[in-house]
Amino acid sequence: MTSNKSSLEPPGVSPDGTAGQAEQTEQPEPPKHSRRTILATVGAFALLGTATTVLGGSLLNPPSSTEDGDFSGETLEFLIPLASGGGTDTWARFIGTELTNYVAGRPGFAPVNEAGGEGILGTNRFARSAKTDGTEILVGTASTVVPWVLGRSAVKYSFEDLKPVVVNGTGGVIYARAEAGVASVQDLINRDTPLVFGGISATGLDITTLVAFDLLEADVTSTFGFEGRGPVNLALQRGEIDLDYQTTSAYGSAVEGIAKEGKAVVLMSFGQLDEAGEVVRDPNFPDVPTVAEAYETLHGTKPSGEKYEAYKTLLGLTYTYQKGLWVPQETPEKAYQLLRESSEKLGTDPAFQEKAAKVLGGYPLVADSGVAERVREAYTVSSSVRSYVTGLLADKYNIHVE
Amino acid sequence: MLDSAMAALASLADPSLLIMLLIGTVAGLIMGLIPGLGGTGAVAILLPITFGMEPPQALALLIGALAVVHTSDTVSAVLLGAPGSASASVTMLDGYSMAKKGQAARALTLAFLSSMAGGIIGAVGLTLAIPLARPLVLSFASPELFMLTVLGVSLAAVLSRGNIIKGVSAGLLGLILGMVGTSPTTAEERFTFGSLFLGDGLSLVAVALGIFGLAEIASRASQRRGEKQTISLGGGWGQGIREWLTHWTQVIRGALIGIWAGVLPGVGATAGTWMAYGQAVATAKDKRQFGKGDPRGIVGPESANNSVEAGDLIPTLLFGIPGGVPSAMLLGMLLTYGIQPGPSIITEHLDLMYLIVWSFAIASVLGALLCFLSVKQLAKLTKVPFAILAAGLVAIMLLGSFQEGGQLGDLWIMIILGIFGWLLKSTGFPRAPFLIGFVLAIPLERYYFLTDSLYEGFDWMARPGVMVFLAILILPMIWAFIKFIRARRHTNLDDGHRDEQPEDDEAPLKNSNWSLVAAGIFAVAFAAALISSASFSPEARLVPQLVSTGGLIFSGILLFIEIRRRLHDRTPKADETLAEETEGIRTQPAKAGWTLDAKFALKTFLWMTGFLALTAAFGYLIAVTIFIPAFLLIVARARLKVAIIYTGVLYIVLLALPSLLPIDLPQGWLNTLV
Repeated sequence: MTSNKSSLEPPGVSPDGTAGQAEQTEQPEPPKHSRRTILATVGAFALLGTATTVLGGSLLNPPSSTEDGDFSGETLEFLIPLASGGGTDTWARFIGTELTNYVAGRPGFAPVNEAGGEGILGTNRFARSAKTDGTEILVGTASTVVPWVLGRSAVKYSFEDLKPVVVNGTGGVIYARAEAGVASVQDLINRDTPLVFGGISATGLDITTLVAFDLLEADVTSTFGFEGRGPVNLALQRGEIDLDYQTTSAYGSAVEGIAKEGKAVVLMSFGQLDEAGEVVRDPNFPDVPTVAEAYETLHGTKPSGEKYEAYKTLLGLTYTYQKGLWVPQETPEKAYQLLRESSEKLGTDPAFQEKAAKVLGGYPLVADSGVAERVREAYTVSSSVRSYVTGLLADKYNIHVE
Repeated sequence: MLDSAMAALASLADPSLLIMLLIGTVAGLIMGLIPGLGGTGAVAILLPITFGMEPPQALALLIGALAVVHTSDTVSAVLLGAPGSASASVTMLDGYSMAKKGQAARALTLAFLSSMAGGIIGAVGLTLAIPLARPLVLSFASPELFMLTVLGVSLAAVLSRGNIIKGVSAGLLGLILGMVGTSPTTAEERFTFGSLFLGDGLSLVAVALGIFGLAEIASRASQRRGEKQTISLGGGWGQGIREWLTHWTQVIRGALIGIWAGVLPGVGATAGTWMAYGQAVATAKDKRQFGKGDPRGIVGPESANNSVEAGDLIPTLLFGIPGGVPSAMLLGMLLTYGIQPGPSIITEHLDLMYLIVWSFAIASVLGALLCFLSVKQLAKLTKVPFAILAAGLVAIMLLGSFQEGGQLGDLWIMIILGIFGWLLKSTGFPRAPFLIGFVLAIPLERYYFLTDSLYEGFDWMARPGVMVFLAILILPMIWAFIKFIRARRHTNLDDGHRDEQPEDDEAPLKNSNWSLVAAGIFAVAFAAALISSASFSPEARLVPQLVSTGGLIFSGILLFIEIRRRLHDRTPKADETLAEETEGIRTQPAKAGWTLDAKFALKTFLWMTGFLALTAAFGYLIAVTIFIPAFLLIVARARLKVAIIYTGVLYIVLLALPSLLPIDLPQGWLNTLV
């Protein structure tokens, strides 16, 4: 421990280095300690600390036994790659607290926020060094999915190397300001002046909406830079912008009221992907046509082609299977199945469903036995979709993904 | 309406609600005391407990904590010069100066009473704002928000206490630092040097605690003996209350500014509190005492930072738009109960709204009362030698700032900014403009671009709200100019800031080679920002280039003044200091007091660096068990018994903390092996 101590001391300070200083002041300074006292005390404490760290590591966290059918004595560590307080954080903490009651052996729950790089840093770290025994779980969300889809060079993870335990979707609607001269979907095209869409950043969740506009050939210009969807909604109410979208959980507070007052018009919902991968109506907005239906109204034919494929892919990634809990691919099957089955039990428990209605935004927790299969399909992004999306960003928004 | 209000008050007579409120208040007070945790920490700790409670109980618990965090975060700011939260750094300016004069109890009394009043006014404001909030929020469009940020940044000039050039330079550098990270308009990374970690920008807590807290520790860690002066309560509580009453207009003004800053999304507690301080300074006739212990500098901001939280609840509840992390968590909690925020909350959950209002008001009073009763005890803390406190403070502040993002990088930034903050402080640069610039950088740019792209030409200038802001900005300038001309004609003084020159004990290194170095750092930083921003896209480039060009001009003037002064009075003494500077921190025979101080400060920073290096290598627990006793014995020369108990208690606390509270200890390289 001697070397530790001396490395702490500022270089160039001899033991008597500060002697002159003490004499400068009016009152005597406390006497200096002898080297031996210092060494002994610091050394003893350093030993204590080291012993606790080394032994405590294995004492407090005994080698895991997650394959024996229960997680007793374990702690489920949720890696939340975003700062505390956001929607994903609330979701993860809520699900985690509930889920641990359903996992056999009642493991502890430890949410860890590792923010940085808009979710990329924490997820990179997980992909690099997460434990593969099922006790470390990654919380995935649109913020980390979109940069992966875009193929940003900073992304060192791939959702293809992870296994989904449970997924939870969301949905949303696109709506317009009535005063901008919008009464229905028809008013999106053949306009004298384009409508202004308010966005946060083209490389975030907004991308799905931008692809939808491109698919519909809507006459829209975009202004990015808003702080969040709430401020965009306010800007629409003030008349600064004309078009906005809100997710299902915010619909009640942001859109429903102004739509009732006639100030806003709900144009379409994003829809949901069904098990066959087709766009269907959102159960939370059964009366609102989907983007695919809007296309039919505008152009007379069913949507198809590259743009529609891209839309469907993004819809799956950023809405239908948006949030999820993931474990590394190497996680033992027994541990994985235990987690998945517990999540399924949680998701189908009516008591939980009632409690969670609002947090989950009206979409079920999906953890059935086919979940991995479906999610893998949804999370397979073809190169043509990738190149279309990056091309759209470059041509229309002058954003070059690196 | 009144019925619901009374019913809500009556429901608070329910003992289970009262107990929750009390627990929340106490938890909030404790979390406020710990530098770096603040409101986020308080709510994060209480949130998991609320799962499973009834909504009223849960609300009472969380609101109780939220209402008082900014009451107790003043304590460490006033007594130790280490702000408990970013917004408490405002109170620190005058409160800490007052405490150093031996009037800690007076400062705390003023602060607590103001916090209480701010909380109550905030609660009243919350009630009144319910019908007004919608038109108020909707009338603030991008141009008004842009003007508001301009007004905030221009406070830099007001807060620079005479030395406008230094103040503006610091403000501009703060703006540049605030732009590190992702550009709000084009989502491209700026000044990150390819580092993903910097992509999110620097953490506000790390910046505020570094620039104020660590800087303060470094400059005072040489104090091995406690304050000898007996702490006087200044004639008992009666007199404290009476003095406070004379500043009632400041209290109300501060509270109103706080509510307003809270209601507007994107302004935030720190900026709002600074604005309250700025208006107190701007409207005062005699500004000389500000920053040196003026009661008005405590009363206004303290009242504001409590009412900000009440104001913040308005957009959270009525629009579902939280203004800060704590209110975002509150929002999450409401959602788990199926309470949908939005305009309809008034009709559907009016009883809960009033419960929030009452809880906020009662917690404010309760929190202030608890703090007020402990003033005497708290003030005794100044009797403990600062060097002994410093050891624990470093450990706690670094741990607190780690909690936000869980990144060790934040702590390195904190130490680097600590060194920079110390340099600013010692060479007479005001640090307040720096922090304001940092906080407002992104909003300024964001709302500039939104205004520019959503409005045609300069149409937005004609909006009534914008014109009001323009008037507030320009009229004082004209007024100051007229006064300046008059004064010049009468007295022919060539130095506009002569009155604050003599014996500035806050800045011992003013006009030394250190301040030359500081001016040089500014110039280099602005030049580097200008050069590296050339590679950004045109939209992302505009604001950084404007700011760094302006900064280059101001720091050029500074450099010119410094060099001229150096050439003027080149004495042998100056040569010696130069020699010492180049030799670094080599031990030399004691000369002037300030060189020793500087040496000691730099040495303290080396200690902090060593501590962090140990953390990176072996984890936080081992780093603490080595750093604390070593620092206590070698630097503070504490008695052996003190050092052992001190370290032992910290060790146990660190062992227990992670299981009691949602606190993570930084992990080192060793932890990954075990």
